[in-house]
Amino acid sequence: MIRILLIIAVMLLPIHAFTASQPMPLKSVLIDLNNKSSLQRGAQIYVNNCLGCHTLKYQRYIKFVDHLELPTETIENNLIFTTNKDGEATKIGSLILNSVNPDHAIEAFGVMPPDLTLIARSRGADWLYTFLTSFYKDETRPLGVNNSLYSNVGMPHVLVWMEGLKKQSLETGGYEYINKGTMTPVEYDKAMTDLVNFLVYVAEPAQLDRYRIGFWVILFLGVFSFIAFLLKSEYWKDVK
Amino acid sequence: MDRFITWIDERLPVSNFVKNHLSQYYAPKNFNFFYYFGALAIFIFILQIVTGIFLTINYKPDAASAFASVEYIMRDVEWGWLIRYLHSTGASFFFVVIYLHMFRAMLYGSYKNPRELLWLFGMLIFVLLMAEAFMGYLLPWGQMSYWGAQVIISLFGAIPYIGESLALWIRGDYVISDATLNRFFAFHVIALPLLLFALIYLHLAALHTNGSNNPDGIEIKKNKDANGVPLDGIPFHPYYTVKDIFGLSVFLLIFTFVVFFMPELGGYFLEKDNFVPADPLKTPEHIVPVWYFTPFYAILRAIPDKVGGVLAMGAAIFVLFVLPWIDRCSVKSIRYRGTSYKVLLTLFVISFFGLGYIGMNPATPVLTWIGRLFTLIYFGFFVALYFTSANEKTKEPPDRVTMHD
Repeated sequence: MIRILLIIAVMLLPIHAFTASQPMPLKSVLIDLNNKSSLQRGAQIYVNNCLGCHTLKYQRYIKFVDHLELPTETIENNLIFTTNKDGEATKIGSLILNSVNPDHAIEAFGVMPPDLTLIARSRGADWLYTFLTSFYKDETRPLGVNNSLYSNVGMPHVLVWMEGLKKQSLETGGYEYINKGTMTPVEYDKAMTDLVNFLVYVAEPAQLDRYRIGFWVILFLGVFSFIAFLLKSEYWKDVK
Repeated sequence: MDRFITWIDERLPVSNFVKNHLSQYYAPKNFNFFYYFGALAIFIFILQIVTGIFLTINYKPDAASAFASVEYIMRDVEWGWLIRYLHSTGASFFFVVIYLHMFRAMLYGSYKNPRELLWLFGMLIFVLLMAEAFMGYLLPWGQMSYWGAQVIISLFGAIPYIGESLALWIRGDYVISDATLNRFFAFHVIALPLLLFALIYLHLAALHTNGSNNPDGIEIKKNKDANGVPLDGIPFHPYYTVKDIFGLSVFLLIFTFVVFFMPELGGYFLEKDNFVPADPLKTPEHIVPVWYFTPFYAILRAIPDKVGGVLAMGAAIFVLFVLPWIDRCSVKSIRYRGTSYKVLLTLFVISFFGLGYIGMNPATPVLTWIGRLFTLIYFGFFVALYFTSANEKTKEPPDRVTMHD
């Protein structure tokens, strides 16, 4: 019965509701911003593989000192690869930029690779995780790969050296690997969890503070409400 | 100290003011839950002004840097994220509180003689508040800011003859642009808050002229003791100040829970698409106004014709202004009114929530038809009320207020 109702409901929906929305269910990813080593690994993957094209232009490197518990030297030596016009290394207080020439990028990919500082807020963690694990071989595309979540995406599978390349299996509907990367599928999924974890942090670093402070605020207001209630009752006991 | 107060009073009647409006201002003693929201609305107004000032210090009303300046506030300004979330959550809660405040007036007939002007000032505040919220929503310069404003301002274009030039005049450009952002900023931070302040003053002045209505909908000034103090009245201070402090602390408990633990409220308070910078060349999949506009937005969409839709939406707001003259029943409180009013008000509330839900979702044929039904109920409420209220079968209200808790 429920199935029939669902089918009817689906048939009543206009087609355009589907074309633009997601063709596949999202995989869920467990976000844990207290896991600093996961955030650190995520930052490492990001800087080594993503930053070349995608800036984090609202975020500053120096925030990693407190938020990711990384020493200044570690950041300067391992996360900052860019320089200014004079060839001096980018300062740690700088925003996280790259040196992509927009004209070249548009010629190569058709679009300017978007800034990803807020991508976890606009797309959501599950979407990112699913996207990063859904590249497959597709010879019809200019870059040889496609993405099941975001079809005809203009981005190459940058992490193919880690994951290896898989193709869609017509019989099972799933994937099968046609060549191996440096990681096993389990390791790759874990790496993507770290990367998404990092992106969720970068999208809103205030998360690290607000849950912690919020707890005390709520506790204080709880006690305050109780006292305010007693005060009110005391004054109002004469009102009949 | 006494000499100082005397010195002040001879020059400015502060003591008299405190007496007339607090310590010897008598409010009915039977206020219930719904009577917290007026004071809460004033609290949020002040909160929005204060947090707004701090946001203005770092915000840049410039299409090229507005989005980045908001992120700067969120990341690099000390406590900036908190100030911004207080402001954005405050905007949504303002409407929660105002809607409940208005609903209270409908429950207990607070708009009726002699408080029609009080209601009119309140309605003006409501309309200005919508304008204030709408213009404020453009300022973060995200996709939804941009396209929401594009859609709403283009509505003015539907007005015959002058529409297009009016829309152009409002935007200051052919599309939403830097010029629009600049003027919206000016209206949002100066013009509208000043007007709101003035209207809130008039709203309170009108309130204190006749005193508050109450859940029994009877005038406490009809029963006074030998000193002229209403028998069912209690001094606003300390009774209602302590009660409102309690109400405020419970309100803050809920409010700060949202601020600290779910500031986006699942995309209802801060929409996902608004974390993407405004792009005039890329229209988002679904352009949805923020939740507090959705009932009126659903009415707009319910009418197949653009001009008709705009008129219906305007009428949906305007009809509330004349509510005191539509409702002709002499009994104020729903406690003593006839079944017809109870049924009508229930239907009205259902249609309002229904329209709100429909306005949030993409227009499917089914939803559009349900939206039309709810639009019919929304307006039907006022029509039916006009005809039924004059001869409503009411109960006799008591002479003195009743206490329920």
